[in-house]
Amino acid sequence: MDSLVSTYSQPAFEDEGYASDELQELIHTKPSSSLSFALPPMPRPSAFLRALTDDHANPNCPIKLAHGTTTLAFRFQGGIIVATDSRATAGNWIASQTVKKVIEINNCLLGTMAGGAADCQYWLAYLGMECRLHELRHKRRISVAAASKILSNLVYSYKGMGLSMGTMCAGVTPQEGPALYYIDSEGTRLAGNLFCVGSGQTFAYGVLDAEYHYNLTEEEALELGSRSILAATHRDAYSGGFINLYHVKEDGWVKHGFRDTNPIFWKTKLEKGEFSNVTANL
Amino acid sequence: MPGFDFSNYNRNAALHAQGVPLPKATSTGTTIVGCIFDGGVVIAADTRATSGPIVADKNCEKLHYIAPRIWCAGAGTAADTEFTTAIISSNLELHALSTGRTPRVVTCMTMLKQHLFRYQGHIGAYLVVAGVDPTGVGLYTVHAHGSTDKLPYVTMGSGSLAAMSVFETQWKQGMTREEAVKLTSDAIQAGIFNDLGSGSNVDVCVITAEKAQLMRNYIKPNEREVKQRDYKFKRGTTAWLKEKVITREEISKYVTVHELSSEDDVVVVEKMDIDV
Amino acid sequence: MDSLLGSNPTLASNPAYSFSKAPYNSAADNKEHAFYPYTDNGGSTLGITGEDFCIIAGDTRSTSGYSINTRYSPKVFRIGGDDETGEGAHIILSVVGFAADGTALKERLNAIVKMYKYQHGKKISVKACAQRLATILYGKRFFPYYVTAILGGLDEDGKGALYSYDPVGSYEREQCRAAGAAASLIMPFLDNQVNYKNQYLPGTGEGHDLEPRQALPLPRHDVEQLVRDAFTSATERHIEVGDGLQMLVMTKNGIEELYHPLKRD
Repeated sequence: MDSLVSTYSQPAFEDEGYASDELQELIHTKPSSSLSFALPPMPRPSAFLRALTDDHANPNCPIKLAHGTTTLAFRFQGGIIVATDSRATAGNWIASQTVKKVIEINNCLLGTMAGGAADCQYWLAYLGMECRLHELRHKRRISVAAASKILSNLVYSYKGMGLSMGTMCAGVTPQEGPALYYIDSEGTRLAGNLFCVGSGQTFAYGVLDAEYHYNLTEEEALELGSRSILAATHRDAYSGGFINLYHVKEDGWVKHGFRDTNPIFWKTKLEKGEFSNVTANL
Repeated sequence: MPGFDFSNYNRNAALHAQGVPLPKATSTGTTIVGCIFDGGVVIAADTRATSGPIVADKNCEKLHYIAPRIWCAGAGTAADTEFTTAIISSNLELHALSTGRTPRVVTCMTMLKQHLFRYQGHIGAYLVVAGVDPTGVGLYTVHAHGSTDKLPYVTMGSGSLAAMSVFETQWKQGMTREEAVKLTSDAIQAGIFNDLGSGSNVDVCVITAEKAQLMRNYIKPNEREVKQRDYKFKRGTTAWLKEKVITREEISKYVTVHELSSEDDVVVVEKMDIDV
Repeated sequence: MDSLLGSNPTLASNPAYSFSKAPYNSAADNKEHAFYPYTDNGGSTLGITGEDFCIIAGDTRSTSGYSINTRYSPKVFRIGGDDETGEGAHIILSVVGFAADGTALKERLNAIVKMYKYQHGKKISVKACAQRLATILYGKRFFPYYVTAILGGLDEDGKGALYSYDPVGSYEREQCRAAGAAASLIMPFLDNQVNYKNQYLPGTGEGHDLEPRQALPLPRHDVEQLVRDAFTSATERHIEVGDGLQMLVMTKNGIEELYHPLKRD
């Protein structure tokens, strides 16, 4: 694997100063599209990277990467609901409470972020570029199936290198209708009606599976998406912040707010009588 | 059973093997020094205590009383230096009582090294022992594993190299008390400013045949500047869920309540430094 | 699925311990000492934006272990300006972590921003520069720059802009951000004093009717005071922070540099 990898990536420190392709990169300010990544000069770069950055295997690792956390998406009669939390953690540190985990690939395709924040941000932006190129080449919009396959093929080519992504692609196209795919960095690509991804996935599934059916009204579906994320932020320490809610319809997606979980939680508790376990009375 | 309680040892070892990190002890990653002069000995220490990269105490005391004319400066694990010196102080007092003589610095040093050697370095106490006894002036270092040194000037702790460089350039035979105090406090300041484990103030203790004089915060070269802003919150800024008032009648069921008649009744044991 | 998404390792397979750090497999924890190209040079940085300005500050101490390498090694840089004076720069960048990677990153971004100007005949926008910095960082995804970067400037509308990064290039536009050794000491202070987190308006109601205090862009004077207090406080409690405070203030009139001494112990 590593020999394969080194074939497709430039060795670091090939020369003192800047390597020729690095010089090219400096002269042409546009980042190269050849997707070449710097590698440490050693026989097993992936093991080195893991020792340095994988806080799952080694909590004392020196470089803590930001991780994304609870995301969900489901198909229903009115389209697709996409909802996420907004917390990024690096080890036990809450790096941010305001991450945008829904990535707008174009005006009718959405991607979600779980796993490595940089991996998701970079590769979904790259996917956006590929989708636009597809439109220009073929004079029609890319299908969700094709878009998700570009991503899954891409991450599969980096398998074992340490990418960490759990992504959902949601979109509507004339040929497919509303379509939802799950893609992860292991290479899995699944089509489905309902997915929850991230460390808070189990909590979100708990609410979503109990209340979900295909014939939900739009209002019910939005509320269910929001409520499932709320449940996850309540029980999973690595999820929290704001609820980011989207609805994908025939003519593109609509954003339904980026709302603070704290007032939503208290509203849910006080007005609907849920979360009765939370009380100041012992 | 006197001594240490090992009942959690196996459990903690098993947890550690699974990767649960050990609790972090406060260490006095420290500069401590000692130096003899004509007619006595002086020891000094900085006052920073750290826990990893965090300053746990900005003004701790690292000079410990052992006997009326024997004092000890401690580096290493804070709790270990504190308790080791207290135990030896206690035993030395008993020893002095049973022999009817003033305790000697060598005796103190020997008791310390025997105690520490028995625990093979697991008691992380690194000490500078100094004092004056009927045989004369004594100045020793004791390492956690039990080894000792007898020298005219000594340094220990993470700032020992910075402090020693001052001694090696400026120390001379037969200094006066004033010269020795100046030299040791300069050595501590070298540690304070050049070693990240040391900081804040200089504590000095001068011991002569007559008496031991502790000069707490002898130099304070690191006073905090006044803050730019006032961070007082308006009353009612913090949200609360429930309010409960505990009346005197209620609380007096569990503890004895004394009525304070005036300000004079308030006994201040020790005043705490608070940043405004 | 669990292994790659599990930022919550306690849920994976082990029982949940009531310790702050989750267990890891010690058998797989064999350390390799052959090649370790990173050092942590300590220090801290912080950035805050206002209506029409952006401030990035950093302490000037460089450390390794318990030693001080130097008391003046700046962590905040002008990007796209004159080599010597920094004249003409319109972007500011702070880097904290491994100083050698920080310098390399700064040099590289500086070169790219300048090349952009020569080729396009105009200065790069802060938004574009922020995206470019993310691609630079991600280009070393498998051999990361061991740095936390904060980029600042003024956006197309003349408003203060601040972008914060993780070591491999995930980024976000924010109002304020602290990074480096004392980030965990400074960031909660900023949350409370800049975004007024956990502050409510007294007398607006009982219990849940209490209204949260709304965050507004702060005036420059207040921000400078907050930055100074953040750093004097971090110096008190973090051994790697101290010596000097360097502040770059970006307004429509250019970049102003301020320096205040900090405690040297």
